[in-house]
Amino acid sequence: MENSPQYVIEMLHITKEFPGIRANDDITLQLKKGEIHALLGENGAGKSTLMSVLFGLYQPEGGEIRKNGVRVEINDPNDATALNIGMVHQHFKLVDVFTVLDNIILGAETTKMGFIQKKEARRKVEALSEKYGLRVDLDARVEDITVGMQQRVEILKMLYRDNEILIFDEPTAVLTPQEIEELMETMREFSREGKSILFISHKLNEIMAVADRVTVLRKGRCIGTVNTCDTDKQELSNMMVGRPVQLEVVKDEAKPAEEVLRVEHLSVPSHIHRRNAVNDVSFSVRAGEILCIAGIDGNGQTELIHGLTGLDKSSSGSVTLCGQDISRANIQRRGLNMSHIPEDRHKHGLVLDFTLEQNIVLQRYKEPRFQRGGFIKADAVRDYAEQLIEQYDVRSGQGPVTVARSMSGGNQQKAIIARELDRDKPLIVAVQPTRGLDVGAIEYIHKQLVSERDRGKAILLVSLELDEVMSLSDRILVMYEGEIVGEFDPTKISVSELGLYMAGARRAAKEGEEA
Amino acid sequence: MKAKLSAFFAKDGAQKLLASLLSIVIGLAVGSVVVLIVGLANPAISLRGAWEGIRLIFAGILSTGRDAAGSLTWGFNPTSMGNMLFRATPLIMTGLSVAVAYKAGLFNIGAPGQYLMGTMVTLMVALSIPTTVVPPALVWLIAFLAGCLAGALWGALPGLLKAFLNINEVLACIMTNWIAANTVTWLFDISNFKNLVESTKSGYIYKTTYNGVATAKLGLDKLFPGSQVNGGIIIAIVLAIAMYILMNKTTLGFELKACGSNRHAARYAGIKDKRNIVLSMAIAGALSAAGASLYYLSGNTEFFWSTYQSLPATGFNGIPVALLAVSNPIGVIFSGIFMSMLDIVGLQLTNLTAYNEYITDVIIATIVYLSAFALVIRLMISGRKKRRMAQGGKTAEPPAPEDEDGKGGEPA
Repeated sequence: MENSPQYVIEMLHITKEFPGIRANDDITLQLKKGEIHALLGENGAGKSTLMSVLFGLYQPEGGEIRKNGVRVEINDPNDATALNIGMVHQHFKLVDVFTVLDNIILGAETTKMGFIQKKEARRKVEALSEKYGLRVDLDARVEDITVGMQQRVEILKMLYRDNEILIFDEPTAVLTPQEIEELMETMREFSREGKSILFISHKLNEIMAVADRVTVLRKGRCIGTVNTCDTDKQELSNMMVGRPVQLEVVKDEAKPAEEVLRVEHLSVPSHIHRRNAVNDVSFSVRAGEILCIAGIDGNGQTELIHGLTGLDKSSSGSVTLCGQDISRANIQRRGLNMSHIPEDRHKHGLVLDFTLEQNIVLQRYKEPRFQRGGFIKADAVRDYAEQLIEQYDVRSGQGPVTVARSMSGGNQQKAIIARELDRDKPLIVAVQPTRGLDVGAIEYIHKQLVSERDRGKAILLVSLELDEVMSLSDRILVMYEGEIVGEFDPTKISVSELGLYMAGARRAAKEGEEA
Repeated sequence: MKAKLSAFFAKDGAQKLLASLLSIVIGLAVGSVVVLIVGLANPAISLRGAWEGIRLIFAGILSTGRDAAGSLTWGFNPTSMGNMLFRATPLIMTGLSVAVAYKAGLFNIGAPGQYLMGTMVTLMVALSIPTTVVPPALVWLIAFLAGCLAGALWGALPGLLKAFLNINEVLACIMTNWIAANTVTWLFDISNFKNLVESTKSGYIYKTTYNGVATAKLGLDKLFPGSQVNGGIIIAIVLAIAMYILMNKTTLGFELKACGSNRHAARYAGIKDKRNIVLSMAIAGALSAAGASLYYLSGNTEFFWSTYQSLPATGFNGIPVALLAVSNPIGVIFSGIFMSMLDIVGLQLTNLTAYNEYITDVIIATIVYLSAFALVIRLMISGRKKRRMAQGGKTAEPPAPEDEDGKGGEPA
């Protein structure tokens, strides 16, 4: 029936059940030779399960897999490799202390009399790296190289094994905009050569840019397969979420009021090099506006926020919050007037082994409301947690006593946002608040931030996503190499122009000072 | 009923308890196998002797010796029971020390050093304040508190190194252990405290009753006649309960645990992470030292010291005690008593059978070793459940942690 040799891989009517959950329900996915096929769906839609079935990590209860029209059994990843299926996992599977070359040949070593033939392997890897423009340093240790390069190592691993079917699981989540562009070019090159690519993502822009066809999953079911040329982002996101989604942020004109945060000549030393990560930065944020700091990752945004919130010490300059100088204040005192949605929710945002309710009172356990004489009022904590869970729709297995680690990324982030927004402080610092989240969750978080702005909060947003920067902010500051290189009105600047400033190709005079 | 049972076992606490009990049974079973093998290999031990040995392994605490016919007799043995509680006292304290530090994210392998510092300060204070002037009970209290303080300071040392210089507390603890051992030797050596016992024993021996200082019996000697037990066990149990409350009900415990599980997040939340690391280690040190104080203030014990001092085993034994209790302070009471019961069992085995004390030590060590496997067993228990859920909860753990929104941890 659907069996046709034009498909290099067919997954027909795949059903995979876990107790209580049908992760994949009669899903059919057909991959043509030489195409880039995107698999789109929200977190928990069953994309990764489906790919794990293809890669031999799970055995499906129903359905079959065919390669070039012939039914195959894939019982473990070795079978998948034998069928020339390769996968770049979202979390890379590399040995940190091995060199790049060792990682690439690991498990597929060419040996002569039991000795590894590294020279031969090196030649082959160098040739591949040259051919596809995948720049890697073969002798560097994996722990020393950037995430982007680590991903290139993973790709080279697949090429080294002569894989023809390449699976990319959320490959762009960890990359900078340029790296994403490079990756997409590499993917196009592969497809021109006749390799077939399965591209798992929930980012609509990337799918529209690179994929030929898209299969959309929702709650374990296949919603449909469409050609990207016949559809648009809105339709895809509606298919993915199951209801009309607002891709654009709806907001009124900002009504900026009094100044809440003033940063003057702030410098923060770098942990990596001897120079300042943040160098002589000045700006201010007013009540009722969203000020966005745009820039490519690693240009000092993290250090700037650490300097503001007290996680790092600043070396010079001053920070004034609500009229008080907090340049030397400790984190607790700064927190009196500041909410902070941190960049790294696992490192800073949550104590993963604590329960949800413990995380919700992480800063507030000392307030008289939650303790008396040093003893925590368990009932008050429970009531408060239940109230926030309800109000912000944080979903978890066991409510307030769920261990944070077991929650999904989107709900972990919602819990942090609930905690921070409910503290009701005049300044909200939000760093990449939607990173790694799906469309539905992003829409929700954007709405929350806009409504906080309309309630008169000053919002300082740091984002690497240009879309987010353009749609959410009232003013944009671009950071490049630790300095602010320009201030813009989002309605008066194009994305491409902003990109030039972010890449350091252009630089504006500091408006605030020249005026 | 079945549903209730499975709900009970689904609870985290129940799983921990089950794991600990299972590892104890496994430890005793393997110990019995060792007894059997040793018995078979040793011509001096008959099969009957081996069988007696196995019975003693499981129920040595209830042994009352042999009757006229030469067979083992069983029943309530107040001496054994009382001695078990007496020996449990310092074990509970060092166990608490390790457990509390562990909850705060620190591995306190420095218990032996803290124990030694507590020993020294307690003895010196108890022996140097004249009881003719100060009432013995007050001397007892001062000596106890001074010992705790010494332990706290000694424990804080690796804490400071960890907090401010990021030096691994395990390494620092190992070094401070040996510094403690040698410091104690040296200080006793230059001191005027020599041979402070009633009798004319030689060597360098200290006993607090020389100064008339001893822990009150609190009627326990009536309950367990012929044993060494005293009020120390009550103090240990009270301290264990206090630690449970501290860690689970107070803001300080919340802070300590937050720092222990995620120092960065604690700092982000405005918690003073450095102070809490030092404080955790100080509390742990005080607990270890309290164990030493309670042991040497009991009035039954002599501290023997020559020119050489090694690290006290009681300190290290705190580690299996804490492991077996899965770091729960209340659990430590029971695991401490269990460990000291093994001590008594070993004694009975040596006294009543042809097994010599060295073999007994090996057997007891085997049991302790396996009993401390509680964690492994627990992983196996929860692993079985997880594999079932597994498969559900982590729709795709290997490729991506893609928990089902909303139904994440729902029991399948």
